[in-house]
Amino acid sequence: MYSLAKLPKGQSALKTALKRSVSSKASPAGGVSVIGFENKGPAATSSLTVAIKAGSRFESTPGVAHVLKNFAFKATANASSLRTARETELYGGVLSAGLTREHLYLTAEFLRGDEEHFLSVLASVLSSSQFHAHELKELVLPVVQSEAVSAQSSPVELALDVAHNLAFRKGLGYSLYASPHYPVTIEDVKTFAQSAFSKNNVAVIGSGISTESLSQVVSQAFGSGSAAAGSSGLKTTSTSYYGGEARIPLDIHAPATSVPTVVIAYGTTSPAGPELKVLKQLLGGESSLKWTPGTSPLSQAAEKVPGSSAKAFLLPYSDAALFGVVVSAPTSPQLAGLAKEVAQILKSAGSGAKDEEVKRAIAKATFADASASETLQGLVANAGPALFAGGEIKSESFSGVSASSISKAASELLKSKPTVVSIGNVNVLPYA
Amino acid sequence: MPSLTKMIFGNGPLGPSFAPFIRQHPGIQKYWARWSNFYKNAAGYRQKGYLYDDLIVEETPQVQKALSRLSAKQRYDRVFRMRRGLTQSMAHKNLPKEQWVKADEDVRYLTPLIEQVVAEEAERAEWDYMTVEKIQQKRAEKRNIFSKREGTH
Repeated sequence: MYSLAKLPKGQSALKTALKRSVSSKASPAGGVSVIGFENKGPAATSSLTVAIKAGSRFESTPGVAHVLKNFAFKATANASSLRTARETELYGGVLSAGLTREHLYLTAEFLRGDEEHFLSVLASVLSSSQFHAHELKELVLPVVQSEAVSAQSSPVELALDVAHNLAFRKGLGYSLYASPHYPVTIEDVKTFAQSAFSKNNVAVIGSGISTESLSQVVSQAFGSGSAAAGSSGLKTTSTSYYGGEARIPLDIHAPATSVPTVVIAYGTTSPAGPELKVLKQLLGGESSLKWTPGTSPLSQAAEKVPGSSAKAFLLPYSDAALFGVVVSAPTSPQLAGLAKEVAQILKSAGSGAKDEEVKRAIAKATFADASASETLQGLVANAGPALFAGGEIKSESFSGVSASSISKAASELLKSKPTVVSIGNVNVLPYA
Repeated sequence: MPSLTKMIFGNGPLGPSFAPFIRQHPGIQKYWARWSNFYKNAAGYRQKGYLYDDLIVEETPQVQKALSRLSAKQRYDRVFRMRRGLTQSMAHKNLPKEQWVKADEDVRYLTPLIEQVVAEEAERAEWDYMTVEKIQQKRAEKRNIFSKREGTH
């Protein structure tokens, strides 16, 4: 018989779950830097992510990084792509690949105890992917194409992609998506993969697994002459900011969900500091309560046009950052009025902010920063770049942020030439 | 080693063939090679400029898939040989002797691709009809519940 006394107490179980031992030190295992985050508590799943410094900024041929991302988990020397998929299903795991401008992430999520199998899958992807020409044609390119088309049909994604190109031109400015104008051959993929999958270009991030046990299995899996030793042959140019304007007509056949969109952004060529994170919260655009627009200037502006939205964004990179606002409204004339207003708000950003507003924004930024690492995506996005930068993961300190430091950072940012992308009826939308 | 029947009839679109069996036995292969060469020269396709793999029946899904995996050059050459061969057939003429396909030029460019496709299909079928060992164990356990009960007591 069960007695109530034997059941775990809800309170204490919650506490142990929240007590998250974050080991902030990475350890090298067989030449690969490794970090594990152990979830204490009832979590029954683990995940392994291989972060590879092979994002779109490193690509030698346009679109090759996107193709390589979709080549993940295809035939290796050990298993065909079908076998990898079916075995993963049997283990109850999920394999996924993600691409950012700087990194390629290969992720396996699985039940605890299966790490040996999934690490060997990840290791064989790095060491012995076969890159068959017929796989490129039959399995990879259709997916690449549909991803590129769906990105093209989403005005926000398209606008941000074009904004990066205007802002940084080369390196970070390269598109995340392959383009039909630049065919990628199997040889391009092979050479890109060969230089990307070198040991010093790879880091392993585990969750639900301790750093010690992870580094043990990693050195076993990666030790036996797998990922090529030596330095990565991938090169990227140091980032410089240009800015500019692009006006793109909204496709008349686009789905009803794609509404006219304007992106106004400013870039820096230094990594984003805490001030910019707070500035993003200060401008706001996203309400923290239901049924109310909130008090932030952007959401107040968007409130006046029904169905519209204006959201601040900050895209941090290792040597640059893009800060701005995405504005969208149901029709182009409505967007024109809103975009002008948002541009005014952005120009006066950070100046004349009240102390309580700043305090609120700092609290929001701290929470956003902390809660990001609770999800696997956020954790990987934090840990990946940190591992390559030096191997120490620190949570952002907002103690030095004040109203004056924010206005200083904002004025520094706003000095640069703006990047403006307008998508919609370009006859109506305003010029920068 | 697979069974003899499977070896002979399990070649998918390549049709029934003793070749896999003969290849397993070097003695037979050595003896058979001269008959094989005799047959290939007597069949007359080399005199029309075809390769052996041009004669494989292509109206099956597997061969179509294999053909789609040829390189652009291979595909072009295949079409060229077919057009030239058809012209020669209509004229009831062989090519001039210096243009006949020599034994070392008669490369099996398509067969490995067909075998690849057939192997992929077989692998898919294997995964589609597999039984997980744990499920089998459970089933076995359910069948003899009495023995299990004895074991636990």
